[in-house]
Amino acid sequence: MTAKAANIALKPVRKRGFWKTLGSQWQLMIMSVPMFLYVLLFNYAPMWGWVTAFQDYTPKKGLMGSKWVGLDNFKWLFSRADFIESIRNTLAMSIINLVFGTVSAVVLAVLLNEVRNKAFKRTVQTVTYLPHFLSMVIVVGMAQNIFSSTGTINEILMGIGLTKEPIFFLGEEKRFWWLVGVINVWKEVGWGTIIYISAMTSIDPCLYEAASIDGAGRFQRILHVTLPGIKSTFVILLIMNIGHLMEAGFEIQYLMGNSLVESYSQTIDVFVMKYGISKQKYSYATAAGMFKSVVAIVLLLSANFIAKKLDEDTLI
Amino acid sequence: MKKFLATMLALAMIIAMLPAALADEALEPITVTVFRGDPGEQPTDDNKIYKMIEEEFGIKFEFEFLAGDLDETLGLKIANEDYPDLFDGGNSAELIENADALIDMLPYITEEGTPNLYKHIYTDNRVAQLLDEDGHLHIIPNYGINYNGQIQNAPSGPQFFLQKQVVAYNNYVVPKTLNEYFDLIERFLADNPTNADGNAYTGFAILCEDWRHFCLINPVQHLMGRPNDGEVIIDVNSGNWETTTFINQPYAKDYYKKLNEEFQKGLINKDTFVMNFDQYIAALSSGTILGMFDQAWDFGTATDALNAAKMYENNFVGMPLVYDESYGYGVIEEHYVNGTVMNKDRGFGISVNCQYPERMINLFENLLSDRWQKILQWGIEGEDYYVDENGRMLMTEEQYNQRSDANWKKANQALAIWESAPKKQGVQDDGNAWAPGDQAEMYFGFMNEYDIDFYAKLGVKVPGDLFDKTLELAPYGEAWEIDTTPIAVDKQDFEDIQDKRLPEMIMADPAEFDALWDAFVEEINPCAKVFSDFMQEEVLKLVELALGE
Repeated sequence: MTAKAANIALKPVRKRGFWKTLGSQWQLMIMSVPMFLYVLLFNYAPMWGWVTAFQDYTPKKGLMGSKWVGLDNFKWLFSRADFIESIRNTLAMSIINLVFGTVSAVVLAVLLNEVRNKAFKRTVQTVTYLPHFLSMVIVVGMAQNIFSSTGTINEILMGIGLTKEPIFFLGEEKRFWWLVGVINVWKEVGWGTIIYISAMTSIDPCLYEAASIDGAGRFQRILHVTLPGIKSTFVILLIMNIGHLMEAGFEIQYLMGNSLVESYSQTIDVFVMKYGISKQKYSYATAAGMFKSVVAIVLLLSANFIAKKLDEDTLI
Repeated sequence: MKKFLATMLALAMIIAMLPAALADEALEPITVTVFRGDPGEQPTDDNKIYKMIEEEFGIKFEFEFLAGDLDETLGLKIANEDYPDLFDGGNSAELIENADALIDMLPYITEEGTPNLYKHIYTDNRVAQLLDEDGHLHIIPNYGINYNGQIQNAPSGPQFFLQKQVVAYNNYVVPKTLNEYFDLIERFLADNPTNADGNAYTGFAILCEDWRHFCLINPVQHLMGRPNDGEVIIDVNSGNWETTTFINQPYAKDYYKKLNEEFQKGLINKDTFVMNFDQYIAALSSGTILGMFDQAWDFGTATDALNAAKMYENNFVGMPLVYDESYGYGVIEEHYVNGTVMNKDRGFGISVNCQYPERMINLFENLLSDRWQKILQWGIEGEDYYVDENGRMLMTEEQYNQRSDANWKKANQALAIWESAPKKQGVQDDGNAWAPGDQAEMYFGFMNEYDIDFYAKLGVKVPGDLFDKTLELAPYGEAWEIDTTPIAVDKQDFEDIQDKRLPEMIMADPAEFDALWDAFVEEINPCAKVFSDFMQEEVLKLVELALGE
């Protein structure tokens, strides 16, 4: 009875409140209009193109004139071994990147946090995050030289007697994923630490002092103060990254891949490029891209759901 | 007041533009956008030939050169219908033709209106081969239409190459068979493992990046005595033009088995299978690659670099190899060089977005005149060449050599237009060669000492004499020219399997080779069948077209 009455009493007030709030914040509203239009124009409007996934689309006939084929394009996709492989490769390289990237960034951040010499800390930080700004084309070019059979890595390995024959890093399928993982860590580790280091600076110094007084050593302080302090940042980043699991990257696989390793290097994005742009099978490519987006949404929602269950901060 | 000023300004502009609008349309200066399907260099702003074109035709060009992957670039242009006025789709021009991006030029070409173009494409009924199924002419070939015969000092097509020093090492005897070739490289390597600087030689390189994988695939057909038919072998003697893929045949196995043996002997480096084109050119230019199968036009930059560095003995000489009799295919006659091959579907087309198709045709017509062909190919008389008392067109050594200077070219030649436009090749009516490089006096006169000595010791006048140049072109042309976009996905599978399995087999343990080969044949047979069936049909269509009903 009381609840009902409260509802009736509240409703008009709430409505007025909305418009009133809107009115009082009109400057903010106007400022958000461009962003809103941007999302509408570049993120929602192109979804119209998804209809080509259900058509036998040719640019000549256009969206309206092309023949409807139902789910044929999806059937074709899943009958292709190279598409199934590209899903596998995408997930595998994503997970490797996620694990390598997160672990290396957290470890480096913790280590830097313990460094007391400011100049040294700054230098290491700068040196490690500079590669982030290099174009992938340059990084891959360097990697191809370093990992070639006459490259630095092979010379070192042969020099210290770990291997007699040079290792064929660039042409062996089983090494490709790990090579991508290593290169990504090299390129992104410094960048990844920035957010953790900033999370660590917000930890109350009193906690460290209290821990010291209680007799905690350096490792115990890391374990019981620093790591719990960055836990929520860690979880939010993890959720965001899980949403991006279907994005294993495009450039590095596209540039480093070759015909010998293709069944381990081709990600969904490279697949879309190969069929959609080079071979002009737009419908196949759209179907593949659509599949990827749907899976990504499901992944994001489920990660968020799990985080909620764990009673942690959530994104949505 | 402001408004008044603005109105006046607008009016003044309209009045200023009026005379231009009223003037003769043909002289109205226009800017024409040009896309070239290969990488190139922007000419300088004061390039003298483009300046002449602008003065005479009122046409200024804006060039876009390929940067990145050709199919992807064209795909984007097609998806956006973002076409330049003059559109050269390079090696994938089929894509833009199938997307209806090019106009039909045929109605514009008439005996009275455009005599040069008319003669160019109607002589010998060339036009029959150039039309598509609807009878449209989209592209006039950029190369391969010769006047008064063909000059072939050095074939530009497929050959097995060796560094000249390797042939010199063999007492100037050129290998004729595959076994002789590899045997020679082995002997040379045994005596000379490194060059003077201590860098190790690599015996044989195989480029297999993207569409350039022909270096890996194509040799088989040539070893069997057939010219470049792409990825099929065609029986020209049987009368029914039987067309089959060769890569899954026993005679292909022989080649890859040979490569496997050479790999075991260390002649082939693993890195060759993962290198891209730039790395390949860099390797050739360093002078440490002793041999490879390729087409001469493909590595021209490496040839130029070696000549510029005066590393003449590291430069390459091409030779036509075949299987010897020990392979059990009898005596095979080499057939590497064909008679004139029109470069069908390669060159400029006029896009449907072009607003001045008549003026473009008119431009091609005029550029095809003898006067303009001389300007485009030789330059300006008195400045870039001279004519002696016998009427021979000649150049001084300085004039000749500056033609290979990239900076000079940017300011003094209209290459970006000339390369893709219809052109005259062969011999001029007065006996001079159309291409300065073909002019006998200069070809020999300016050859470097090493090469003069080298070819003299080989006993040939020009490198082309190592080949049989009397062979006739088959009625279907060369089958690599056939548009395979209707079976694009099957062809992609067909090629993906080869690109993956063949290198694997070459690097495999010899004991496993036979098993791997059988697995490969089984894997590739289904898409090979789709491909050969399609090619068979197309070849028959072309033969019918050429021979008439």
